[in-house]
Amino acid sequence: MIHAENLSVSYDDVDALADVDLDVDEGEFVTVVGPSGCGKTTLLRTIGGLQEPTTGTVTVDGDPPEVAQSAARLGFVFQDHTLLPWKSAVENVTFLRRMAGKDPDPAGARDLLTTTGLDGFEDARPSELSGGMKQRVAIARAVHLGADVLLMDEPFGELDEITRDEMGVEILRLWRKNRKTVVFVTHSVPEAVFLGDRCLVVAADGDADPAANGSPGRIVAEFDIDLSRPRDESVFGSETFGAQVARVRGALHGDT
Amino acid sequence: MSVADRVPLPDATLPLAGLVVAVACWWAVTVAFAVPPFLLPSPAAVLARLVGNPELYLTNAVETLRKILVGGAAGVTAGFTLAVLVTTIPLLRRALYPYLVAARVLPKIAVAPVFLIYFGVGFETAVLFVALVVFFPVVVGTAAGLSRTPDAHLDLLRSVDADPLRTFLSVRLPHALPDVFAGLKQAVTLSVVGAVVAEWILSNDGLGALILAASENVQVDVMLAALAVLLPIGLGLYGGVLLCQRAVTWG
Ligand SMILES: Nc1ncnc2c1ncn2[C@@H]1O[C@H](COP(=O)(O)OP(=O)(O)O)[C@@H](O)[C@H]1O
Ligand SMILES: [Mg+2]
Repeated sequence: MIHAENLSVSYDDVDALADVDLDVDEGEFVTVVGPSGCGKTTLLRTIGGLQEPTTGTVTVDGDPPEVAQSAARLGFVFQDHTLLPWKSAVENVTFLRRMAGKDPDPAGARDLLTTTGLDGFEDARPSELSGGMKQRVAIARAVHLGADVLLMDEPFGELDEITRDEMGVEILRLWRKNRKTVVFVTHSVPEAVFLGDRCLVVAADGDADPAANGSPGRIVAEFDIDLSRPRDESVFGSETFGAQVARVRGALHGDT
Repeated sequence: MSVADRVPLPDATLPLAGLVVAVACWWAVTVAFAVPPFLLPSPAAVLARLVGNPELYLTNAVETLRKILVGGAAGVTAGFTLAVLVTTIPLLRRALYPYLVAARVLPKIAVAPVFLIYFGVGFETAVLFVALVVFFPVVVGTAAGLSRTPDAHLDLLRSVDADPLRTFLSVRLPHALPDVFAGLKQAVTLSVVGAVVAEWILSNDGLGALILAASENVQVDVMLAALAVLLPIGLGLYGGVLLCQRAVTWG
């Protein structure tokens, strides 16, 4: 579904990402984990066509990202909820679909808010919603768009840990229902393990050594997560989970 | 700041009471100290002027209002259009924006004599002057507002390849509204000043011209009567802008 080859991205004075090869299958849930500043956001934005790669190519379902954008096949969820403050929850959900020029489906938007646990808050403004609720609206907005690829950039990064775990369980429930291809960026190893079918570890060479800062991020390891689905909170306590987390942590800190 | 800021209509009771007290004091002073009417006429004398020749004040008020409305509409349209252009075309922004901001410190009244030389006395010249005065706060306010769209919101729209017009109307403009209205409120105040100045220098009718003529004849009562008509015009226009703002923003 997503194919990236020899991808690298440089900004004016920083090389953010280098030598990325990536394949994500249809319906697969891939998590990307790494320390901040290692190029995770850059990777996601490049896949989604918001950032031009310096070298290499990306395709989504065989097409360049721009084509996928026009067809509303890409659903972004950013760290910041990016809801419009003057619109209600349900208006925020329908808004993006309207902007994409697709047929409106207000009833579908309301149903989706109900399934994401926002029953009764459909007409609330973002200022009346908690951080977790706002992210639920942002996720509902991406799903309602009808995108088949969800690109999520630390969507729970600003939530407290308890809400974060709950949101993780919910995103999996939602994903079971509408089988989307997901690329989910996080800096939390447990979150990456809990959510993913596969977990990519991104790091820059100099990460352990701040003086060497400026080297681009690369995919340094890749793990298949052998945890049965469906997963819920009980997974957090399991031994397999702990072992997987330890393996990913090891890769992050440079063990091989 | 966002469109979230609800604009309350001020409670009118206290200000009205203040006005009544002020007029009463004025009256008391003129009576108690027997002030000669050519220095300070009593409120009754001013009222008598208004009632004695309502047509004079009405026709001049209509002239002044016409200049404000036509000039204001032209200035707002030009200012808004230029703000949209300047914020859409980066090259234009870098070339023009500093001058638009700097031009705000230039007293526009100094331009009126120049207009007189180029365009002569007349309604059109006065309208042009009002438009000029209104133009600057509108262009600066709107441009500032339109630059305020968070990048993340633009990214969101780019991710679905939303067309520029939709992006403008649904995201950029709503984000800009508080600044647009801040500019409009300045503009509405300046438009009244602009119209009066224009009627002193660039035209021979309207309340401004009436005040100037009355001043030459030392008719303070006529001047005050004209001011009494000008005041509600200015307040009404300002209130109109406030009402518009309330209608398009939310609480
Ligand atoms: N728009 C940009 N312009 C210049 N440098 C950028 C830009 N975006 C990110 N960077 C730099 O690229 C590197 C990777 O950033 P980012 O992709 O945001 O990492 P992450 O999401 O993992 O924290 C950082 O050094 C960051 O400072
Ligand atoms: Mg990031």
